[in-house]
Amino acid sequence: MSVFDIVMTYKEGLLAGLLVTLKLCLIIWSSGIIVGTLLGYFGSKYRLEIGAPSRVVSFILSGIPVLILLFWLHYPLQAMLQVSINPFYTAAFAFSILNIFSVADLVRSALVNFPAQYNLAARVCGLSQRETFLKIELPIIFRQIIPSLLSLQVTMLQLTLFASLISVEEIFRVAQRINAVIYKPIEVYTALAIFFLIICLPLNGIALWLKNKYTRDLSEK
Amino acid sequence: MLACKSINKQYDGRSTLKDVSLTLERGEILALIGPSGAGKTTLIKNLSLLEYPDSGEITIDADTYSFPGDLEKKITPWPKISVVFQQLFLWPHLTLKDNILLPVRLKNKKDINKRFEELISLFDMGDFVNRYPNQASLGQRQRAAIVRALMLEPEYLFLDEITSSLDVEQINIIISHLQKLKQNNIGIIMITHLLGFARKSADKVVFINNGQIIESGGAEVINKPKSDRVKKFISDINNIY
Repeated sequence: MSVFDIVMTYKEGLLAGLLVTLKLCLIIWSSGIIVGTLLGYFGSKYRLEIGAPSRVVSFILSGIPVLILLFWLHYPLQAMLQVSINPFYTAAFAFSILNIFSVADLVRSALVNFPAQYNLAARVCGLSQRETFLKIELPIIFRQIIPSLLSLQVTMLQLTLFASLISVEEIFRVAQRINAVIYKPIEVYTALAIFFLIICLPLNGIALWLKNKYTRDLSEK
Repeated sequence: MLACKSINKQYDGRSTLKDVSLTLERGEILALIGPSGAGKTTLIKNLSLLEYPDSGEITIDADTYSFPGDLEKKITPWPKISVVFQQLFLWPHLTLKDNILLPVRLKNKKDINKRFEELISLFDMGDFVNRYPNQASLGQRQRAAIVRALMLEPEYLFLDEITSSLDVEQINIIISHLQKLKQNNIGIIMITHLLGFARKSADKVVFINNGQIIESGGAEVINKPKSDRVKKFISDINNIY
């Protein structure tokens, strides 16, 4: 059975798995980018009240392997709380938390390290704080963080594979089940790799394109 | 009228302005001279209220602000007062043209394009106005920063050594333009080492050293300085140029 045969034979199962992966990503990406940006923004404005606790949480999360976080949220926490949550939501929650704090770190450090002289120039030109944020800070920061932000989202997509370990029926778990039936690991996992390439390559391409378009060397000669 | 009275400013316990008082009338050019680190840039930052003095008074036309009493007050006298800094601070993500036009577009000023074309032509910027700051030479960036300030039609304009990288022709253009601004009743403070300009064009010359005004007056501050410190400074400059 070739890779093509596997894809064609199990296309419904693979597409269903892919759909779960994409749904998971949609939740992780949107929550990470929206909530993470807000957390990063307010963390830079209220450094002690929001910025410092956010950094502590981010630091702690960076020291916990994703799999352990996922397992801990799925088994001990739910046993302690005596609840049973759909593993899809547990995975979405765990990865969203990781993404939110990673995005917040990116945004906060870009804002905190934003060169003050550009704001000074905006002030003497009579720009309001809102105009300065929208026309000066945001475009410069956007250019600065966009490649890292997109790379982070691709990494989050790849991390969703771990969700299979708490029984989320995403594409990796579907591939494992197909392999359990036909035992063709090379072909099955090659088909899986192709699926991931189809999703990840355009994302990486967009990241590269945005990087080339917006992150030219701004230093003055 | 723009004035400061007995202003003081400290950074980390070190005095950078000590009991400084001066007055700038509309339509007047004040040349601020002095060695590096004398407090010239600090003075214009305080006069433009980008930074507040620790103590003293600043008057901008009918409004007087007293410090430390008004330290918590949000005072925004820009772009009525505009400043061109020595480091220029052009926004790197915008072309020189957009650097110049962004503030006036946001202020919905009239006749933007006409004024822009006039100034671009006056400062001979047509060839490079679409470049980004990092693609332009220092002299080109200096001209863009000056035009950005002029487009805002300030009533008081502070220039911090803006001619340092310009050639003689460009300096002459700026000096003649400053004369026009003066005729248009704009008050100008120019930090400069161009003693010839200060002698010829400035209505007032102020020499500052270690945060204190050592001498002030008209061209006589340069022509016949009284203090030894001013004499030495002027003789040093004359020896170099």
